Formats: sequence, structure tokens, C-alpha cells
Amino acid sequence: MGQAKVKLDKELLEKVKKFAQLAGYSSPQEFITHCLEKEIAKLEESDSEEEVKKKLKGLGYIS
Amino acid sequence: MSSMDRRQFLKGGLAAASLLAAGSSLPSFLRGSGGRATRTKVLVLGFDGLDPRLLNRWLREGKMPAFARLISAGDFRPLQTSIPPQSPVAWSNFNTGTDPGGHGIFDFMHRDPQTYIPTFSGSLSTESKKALKIGNLVLPLSGGEVKNLMQGRTFWQILEENEIPATIFKIPSNYPPVPTKQRTISGMGTPDLKGSYGISCFYTTDPGIPKGELSGGRVYEVFIIGNRVEAKLPGPINTFKKDRPEALIDFQVLIDPSQAVAKVVLPDQEFILKEKEWSGWKRVHFGLIPTQSVSGICLFYLKEIRPHFKLYVSPINIDPGHPALPISTPESYAQELERVFGSYFTKGLPADTSALDNNVLDEGEFLEQDEMILRESERMFDYEFERFDSGLLFYYVSSTDQRQHMFWRLMDEKHPEYDPQLASRYGRTIENIYGEADRFLDRVLQKIDKDTVLLVMSDHGFNPFRRAFNLNTWLFENGYHRLRNPWKQEEGSFFENTDWPRSRAYGIGLNGLYINQRGRERDGIVNAGADSENLIREIAAKLEQLVDPKTGERAILRAFVAKDVYHGPHLEHAPDIICGFNMGYRISWDSPLGKFPKNVFEDNREKWSGDHMGAPEIIPGILAANRRVRAESPALYDLTATILDIFGIAKNKEMIGETIF
Repeated sequence: MGQAKVKLDKELLEKVKKFAQLAGYSSPQEFITHCLEKEIAKLEESDSEEEVKKKLKGLGYIS
Repeated sequence: MSSMDRRQFLKGGLAAASLLAAGSSLPSFLRGSGGRATRTKVLVLGFDGLDPRLLNRWLREGKMPAFARLISAGDFRPLQTSIPPQSPVAWSNFNTGTDPGGHGIFDFMHRDPQTYIPTFSGSLSTESKKALKIGNLVLPLSGGEVKNLMQGRTFWQILEENEIPATIFKIPSNYPPVPTKQRTISGMGTPDLKGSYGISCFYTTDPGIPKGELSGGRVYEVFIIGNRVEAKLPGPINTFKKDRPEALIDFQVLIDPSQAVAKVVLPDQEFILKEKEWSGWKRVHFGLIPTQSVSGICLFYLKEIRPHFKLYVSPINIDPGHPALPISTPESYAQELERVFGSYFTKGLPADTSALDNNVLDEGEFLEQDEMILRESERMFDYEFERFDSGLLFYYVSSTDQRQHMFWRLMDEKHPEYDPQLASRYGRTIENIYGEADRFLDRVLQKIDKDTVLLVMSDHGFNPFRRAFNLNTWLFENGYHRLRNPWKQEEGSFFENTDWPRSRAYGIGLNGLYINQRGRERDGIVNAGADSENLIREIAAKLEQLVDPKTGERAILRAFVAKDVYHGPHLEHAPDIICGFNMGYRISWDSPLGKFPKNVFEDNREKWSGDHMGAPEIIPGILAANRRVRAESPALYDLTATILDIFGIAKNKEMIGETIF
């Protein structure tokens, strides 16, 4: 599995470390992965919303 | 159903009908010799949107001779429509003999209370839940599903239980067709191949035409290089691929250097079009993965070659010869029609009103397309009427509705889009389509036998749509709806800017208003029970008093409270208030999708200029019958009870109508 490094602002990294520990994550990496997955899931959800919107557009009654 | 099956079915039907007729309360005109109802037949002609005032006007002027004959021998009534008088709602009332509380269709659009996003009310498509991912491919391991959301039993299912055969031709709200052995083909609600209400494509070199997404269409910029135009025809979303791209077909148009003629070259066929010529149906195949493709049918129209190239391609209809989605029962019925007639319109509302609204087609071109629809409809009626020898035949015509939507402005001098020049040419379009309905009826009256009960009906009438009401803007201005950034009021859609934890009400759909109710909506804040009830009554009272400052007229005649007007188990899904608009008014273009335009009222500047979102008492449909009608004020669901009664079948307990005879 490929790995990639991501640069984080030092201040943000400190917060990540602190809250990862407080929230019971085993590592900052696990915490970051979880946050990103949640955000991506939201975006994927809105993709399907986009499809619904496009499909509704053909209905003559709305613009 | 094969012919053998159908004969067996008929045989069963005759036996059942004779048993039921013995000692039944059927009126004498329905009984055949020896007291048997074996010859009883019911023909229902459904002209969408036929309006009693317009019909009466042209009857008085002697322009509707067939209707005059029918009415003088039988009867005529305005027909009570549904609340609200939208076609999917109204036809569902008829299909099931209930009101929206019983069948669960409240509007063209419902909403998901967890996301506040509008949803299709009529059907739900789900993709395969199990899939195998290989590289960029997603291979479904089980089939997806499409489901008709109309609840309750339809009258043709009940006829089937009683062994009375029926053919149901394009009745709205029957997509996908409800399970039955009867012969049915779906109508309004049937999507195009992209799963939408209809998206056309327009390819042009004209720099003056804006490119991109339109409501119900797309405009593509193309270039002529060496007399050749290269373009792509978009098809359905390719769910086999991980990034879900649109399936595309590459095609070329080769333009004759001197004549107004071009050759369209598709991967597996080519054809020549003159300028201003329609292609007839062309079958197109979209490859999804090497082993899977899906076929659709579309019309090409070469609008202009010079000075600017303009090519229109209709929404891609489901191919009835190889239906990718379920459009008929039995499945073979769609194919049988295709064998007899070739390709035919399968999209629910086939006329491309969006193309006219977007100036992609002009009035004459739109009418050419709708003419094809009407003539096809007549040919298919003749085919079904010819073999109609028992039971029930329902037949639907859409052009009456679609032409009134698009051409009202040209017979209404008060309409903001009235254009005297266009009116001189197209001002009689609506009168003409009423004339076509009359000629359609005349074909029936010439052939119908005396034992056949004929019901000619429409689901609602028509009103002008001159002024548009922004319900969500009104809710915002009156403190019922809050925006996170009020200075961005006019930006975005789908309530992107809404402050839900501070909003008490919102509008979605064409007539519906919902309370943001705690425990029901995701961020609901109004308690169910007394709090919600009081708020509903307060808003309804204010809406009924609302006056348009420009005209001094009330915009909303009746603000119906759902629990006062609906009956049945699906009441909990209803909008809390249903707006019944005054003559000349309708919901705006933007409000139904959660937008907040600046003004509460605005002129309707669209070609879509007639509509039917009014309070039901000002917009009834029509009922004409070849029998005397006892009921003074019949409603759509009464016709359902009537049909069952004619065949001696008791209505089921959910049905709320009574026989009209």
C-alpha cells in the first residue's frame, strides 16, 4: 500500500496530537485518517445529491 | 401476456362477470341479454389538463362537435381534482380511488427530512448494493432496483383479481408499472435513459448562445473543421466505473460544402439530414464495459447549417425494443408495440418543453415534435381500440396538457410574455389541440358499440401563470425561516444558506410547506403536537390573507392543512400545508428547490405560461360520459369506484369514492 507524507502547520500538528490522545485514538495518524474519511464520505454523499438535482432539472415546472 | 394467455384470461373474466351480474345492482344499460354482463366494456379516455371552461367556450362556438354529440346523448360535469392539482397526485387519486393520504403521492417532489433535499415522489431507483471493484471497474454482483412509490391497489389490479382484463396505456404515476398480468405501459414519471425527467443536447457554433447546463438540457460548443463537426452524445452514468463517468458516444456531422444538407455519422450507422429536418428515431448504443451496453432512442433535428451550425438531439428515451428499465407489463408488451410501430416515445412526458423554454426549439419546431407525439398516440390508440373486445381500456393523451403549459401566453393578453406577433401565428394553438381532442373523440364515437361505457376525463383544468410566488422568500421575510448569511440571500440553492436550528418552516415542491419539526426533521426545532399545530394554523391564515401588491389580488386562495383534507395511512409524509393558488398565480421557478430570490412576487417571464397549481375549486377537470351521471359533483376517486361498480366489483375499504351513475 502506498504511503504519502502531508505537511501540517506545527500549531495544528500539536492540536492533532493533543486531541488524538484525548479522544482515545491510538496515534495522530489514525485520528487524521478518521477525520479525512468522514469528510470524504460527506463529499461522496453530496455527489449523489448532485445527481438528484440534475435529474430534477428536466421537470418543466422548476428552473 | 401471450395471445393464448389472454384468451384464457378473457374466458375467466367472462365467467366471473356473469356470476357477479346475477342479482347484482348493475343498472339495466350495463346488462347484456339474459342478465349477463358479458358484453360490458369500459373505455376511459384521459386527456391531461382538459379544462371545462375552455371546453365549454369552444362547445358554445360549435367547435367541438364530437363532445357535443357525446354530451347530448350522455352527460357532462366538471370533475373535482386533487389537492394539489398536480398530475402525479391527481392520477394517483384516480388509479387507487384514494387521496394522497391513501396513495402517498403529495407532489412531483417530496423531501428527505434528514437532508432537506427534494426527492422524486414517484419512483425510487437503488443501485446494486453488492459490487466487486476491479481497478477502475465496479461490477455489480446483484441487480439494482426501481420501485413505484405510489401506495395502494390500482383499479386494474383489482380488475385482475376479479378476472376482468384491462389495457392501461400510459396512465401517469405508473412507473415502473405496478405488478400485474394486465397489459400496461408506463407514462408520466418514466425517465429518459439518463434517469432524469429529460435532458436534451444542443450542439452549436453560434457564439451568441450561452454554453453549458440548462434546465432540462445542455448546450455544447462545437467547431467546424474542414466541413466536419466532432461531438459526443452523453448517455447514462456508467456505474460500472469507479469514478462514475457519463457513457459517451462519439459522432461526427459532415456538412455539404454547398447545400443545406449534412450527414450524421454514428458508430454503427449514418444518415443524411436536410436543414430543418427531423431524423426519425435513431437507436444508439452506449458501451459500459466490454460485455455490457445499453441502448436508447433519440431524434436528431438539424436546425441550422449556416451561418451557424445548430443540431438538436432529443432526450434519449428508453429503447422499447430493448428496455433498460421496466416500462411495461408484461415485459413483452413494450416490445410487441415496437414490433408493430417501430421505436416510439417512452419518456413519461415526451414533448421537450424545456427545449422551447430555453429557445433551443422555437414554437413551430416544438409543435412539429408534439405533432409526432400526437400522431403516434392516435396510431397506437387505433391498434388498441381495434382489439378491445372485453374489460377495460384506458388511454392517455399528453399533448393537451403540454401545449396549454407552453402556449397560454399567446392567447392571454395579460400575460407578461404575451407577444402579439407570435400570437398572430400561434394564438390558436390551444384551441387547436382542443380540436384535436375532439377529432380523437370522434374516431371513438364512430366505432364504439352501445354496450361500451365511455368516460372522457381530465385530471385537472388550466389557469394562466402570470405571477410567481417565492414561498421561501416569504417565509424568510416573515421570520419563519433564517439564513446564516442574510446578505447572501439570493445565492445558492437547496437551502445551502439556511440556519436550520433557527428555522421553523420551509417550502419544497410545487405546493408544499413543511414545519421544521423536532424528531422528524434532522435539525427540527418545533415540537410536534400543539406547538406545531399552532404554527401551521398561523402560517396558513397568513398565507390566505397575502395580497400581491402589484395586482391587489390574493395569491393563495386556500392554504390546506394536510390533516384536514387527507385520509389514510400516509398522512405523516404529507407537507403540513398545501398552497392552493389563486387564478394567475403559481409557486415561482426557484422556490421549490430551496432558493430565496429577492422579491416575494415576480412576473413569470417564461414560455411555460399556463399551469394548474390552483385551489382545486378553480381548476376542476372534465368528465363526459355516454350515460347519465347522477353525481352532482363527482371527483377523480369517484371514477375508480364507478369502474369497479360497472363490473360488479365492490370497492375496497381504502377507497373513498362513490359511483357516479
